[in-house]
Amino acid sequence: MPDRALSDIRVIDVSQGIAGPYATKLLADCGAQVTKVEPPAGDYTRRLGPFPGDIPDPEKSGLYLHLNTSKRSVTLDVAVTSGQVVLKQLLAKADVFVCSEKTSTLAEWRLHYEDLRDSFPDLIVAQVSPFGATGPYAGYDGNSLTAIAMSSIMYNTGEPDREPLTTGGEPGEYIAGVQLWVGILAALENRAVHGAGDHVDVSMAEAVAASDEYNAAMYAFQGAIRRRYYSRHIFGYPNDIVPCAHGHIVMIPGAAGFPSPLAPDTVSPMALLMEDPDLDKTPLFQQMGERMINWREFDDLVRPYLSTHTAGEIVMTAQALRMPFAFVPSAADLLSDEHLAERGFFQRLETAKAGALTFAGPPFRMSETPLQPAPAPERGEANAPVLVEELGYEKGDLTVFSDRGVI
Amino acid sequence: MSTSGPLPLAGIRVVDLTQVFAGPTCTRILADLGADVIRFESANRLDVTRNLIIADNEGLDHHWHRSSYFTIRNAGKREMVLDLAKEEGCAIFKKLVAGAAVVVESFTPRVMENFGLGYDALKQIKPDIIMCSLSGYGQYGPMRDFGAYGMGLEPASGISSITGYREGPPIRSGLSFTDPYSGFVGAGAILTGLHYRRRTGKGQYIDLSEQEAAIPIVGAALLEYQMNARLKERLGNRSEYAAPQGCYRCAGDDRWAVISCTDDAEFERLAHATGHPEWLDDGRFSTLLARHEHHDELDEAITQWTSQRDHYEVMHTLQQAGVKAAAVLDGKEVLLDPQFRARNHFDIIDQPHLGKRPVQRHLAAKLTRFEPKARSHAPLLGEHNEEVLREIGMSDEEIARLKAEGVIADRPNLPVPPQLIAAALKLPYDRYLERGILQAVEGDYREQLGIADDGARK
Repeated sequence: MPDRALSDIRVIDVSQGIAGPYATKLLADCGAQVTKVEPPAGDYTRRLGPFPGDIPDPEKSGLYLHLNTSKRSVTLDVAVTSGQVVLKQLLAKADVFVCSEKTSTLAEWRLHYEDLRDSFPDLIVAQVSPFGATGPYAGYDGNSLTAIAMSSIMYNTGEPDREPLTTGGEPGEYIAGVQLWVGILAALENRAVHGAGDHVDVSMAEAVAASDEYNAAMYAFQGAIRRRYYSRHIFGYPNDIVPCAHGHIVMIPGAAGFPSPLAPDTVSPMALLMEDPDLDKTPLFQQMGERMINWREFDDLVRPYLSTHTAGEIVMTAQALRMPFAFVPSAADLLSDEHLAERGFFQRLETAKAGALTFAGPPFRMSETPLQPAPAPERGEANAPVLVEELGYEKGDLTVFSDRGVI
Repeated sequence: MSTSGPLPLAGIRVVDLTQVFAGPTCTRILADLGADVIRFESANRLDVTRNLIIADNEGLDHHWHRSSYFTIRNAGKREMVLDLAKEEGCAIFKKLVAGAAVVVESFTPRVMENFGLGYDALKQIKPDIIMCSLSGYGQYGPMRDFGAYGMGLEPASGISSITGYREGPPIRSGLSFTDPYSGFVGAGAILTGLHYRRRTGKGQYIDLSEQEAAIPIVGAALLEYQMNARLKERLGNRSEYAAPQGCYRCAGDDRWAVISCTDDAEFERLAHATGHPEWLDDGRFSTLLARHEHHDELDEAITQWTSQRDHYEVMHTLQQAGVKAAAVLDGKEVLLDPQFRARNHFDIIDQPHLGKRPVQRHLAAKLTRFEPKARSHAPLLGEHNEEVLREIGMSDEEIARLKAEGVIADRPNLPVPPQLIAAALKLPYDRYLERGILQAVEGDYREQLGIADDGARK
């Protein structure tokens, strides 16, 4: 069996939702021992679904099963004193503590970094919150939508005469999760070199703003303020999703798709694709600025070709002509995609209660220490092993904890 | 808040063969963590982003040193312009790999092999090297040779199929966010590899497909399809997990705020904060299910309240009442927002030719023992040729000869005079303003940002 990259790392994770659990999933899939500490009612994603047959069941939530692979689950109410006592016993043996509560809540529970650093000087306390642990908005609540809104991405997404549009699939949460994961790894590296724990404080809004391509830069370097215009790039048209026969493709002519003054005697790849060399003579093919301004006329020029060819025909021909066109797959298309299948991307896992399901695979491949996701845990399935075998409680104590709603 | 203690990757050399967006984002994080990142460019084929978003939309006769796009994601790195096609260039490169811990590249597959610089070759030079290849679709599989731009990869990961107005077509985000996202993922993958190397002494090869890196974002949609044979619909700004949730018009020209209520308690707070307790007795709005059903009517009622108020006022009023809300910020407002300022999201770098400029953090994590920020300006073309060559023991005479023979360079080989390229790169902003592609172009932006003192050095 191949080695695991992080097999020496132990993580106690009280985070819920998407961002924190995605960060610890990435640690767990790389071999870290992640103990997911859920409230007695379970991580709230257990209630969000999707569920088989739309019948809610905390052990069958697709979102939960996706985000919590390779972890073990204990239930513990960290909002009460006895729960906090148990949690601190777990922290004494941990390298990383992950939480997704705001500073005010953590302070109430005496579980903020400030409360923990003296007792656990080597512990890395990683906190993800909507706006960050400090600053004037530290107490504010949020989600993927508020993060995308604050980042300037949303203002520039959508149609000019309609409301700004968010991006599908809660990406703000995932971006924050990945940033938290990188922050934790950086803190672990720092501890290995300089020997001490730390606070890793990730704001979901900043994590998304860190992804800004040039909205802030256009103002900081030019004084220009961009505005949404069909989500189009400022520096060229087309680079966009367009309709074709039976679907959509991304039309990206790329750096060499249109006629070049450096190669005046050749037919451009775009004209070859459309099978009409005369197109190269039009200003719409010759000048980027012209396409950007008079894009409706450009659309009229290319529509006859696009509407009579399928996505497969267009993308494969364009790629053969060295233009980086792309597909616009749905979830179903991805699951049956030949390229992803040949790469062995998707992973079939036998879940405890929801049967065998196909999951998104690892976001990167490591040759020596491949990521190996195992199915997500049932709620509290590791209560006995963790409390009795690792912390030394009696079996009877578990009953008392359970009766009092602590586990 | 943060102190700038010693950085965790001090002493780690990263050989950086990436260009454009994803790769440079990855190595910028490594540089901010203290790594000595040496990027490589070719005089015949500059990083294409040296042509993008030119300062003041004016390239002058050295546009490659005026690109904001290049500057923000290459701050704090060193750079060599080295001809890898020349034998001596390749030998120098290998010498630098011998002293490196990490090599990152973002060519299409096969390019590194063609240079004789694939993982197996690099491993011969440095047995514990960590090599990371960032590409659109990965190093193997039928689409490995596909050309890939960021604007194609967000759709290719499935995200665009669930992005769009309700009942409208799929649409891209207003920027290619899977590019920086896969750069973040690459930085984490490399840190994971460094952790393993510390324990075992072993390096490894990392194959990062940007398409694959982003697919987990639609992970729940993949399961929904398997569980219920149903594809997620495009919901605009709504969510199956909240109601109301949307983007609401505010007072002012094209100002907006988002609001999201996950449960009844939060909706109750919204009703009180907006002065509409009667919503709570209205059967159309009293339960989450009813609010989903009557969302349009509720949106109208909420808009009547928001449209009388500034977008920031909407955010603060609702947040102080315990309701999730945020102003929808444009590129200028992000730079001036009090929360981003309080937490130093933008570092001010002093860029040669351009003066002081804010560049955003790439690792947003705030730590107490060190500060992962832009450590200096973005390198000029070949700025560190001589410095790096001296470090590997080359004499001034040898360096002069390499320069004369074109093995190293500090100017691009351009097919036409630079002024012609600069003219072509100038975007017609007056026409963009007319079209509504730009909201405004403000001549006094440096004063507004507080970076005016030092002027715009040309």
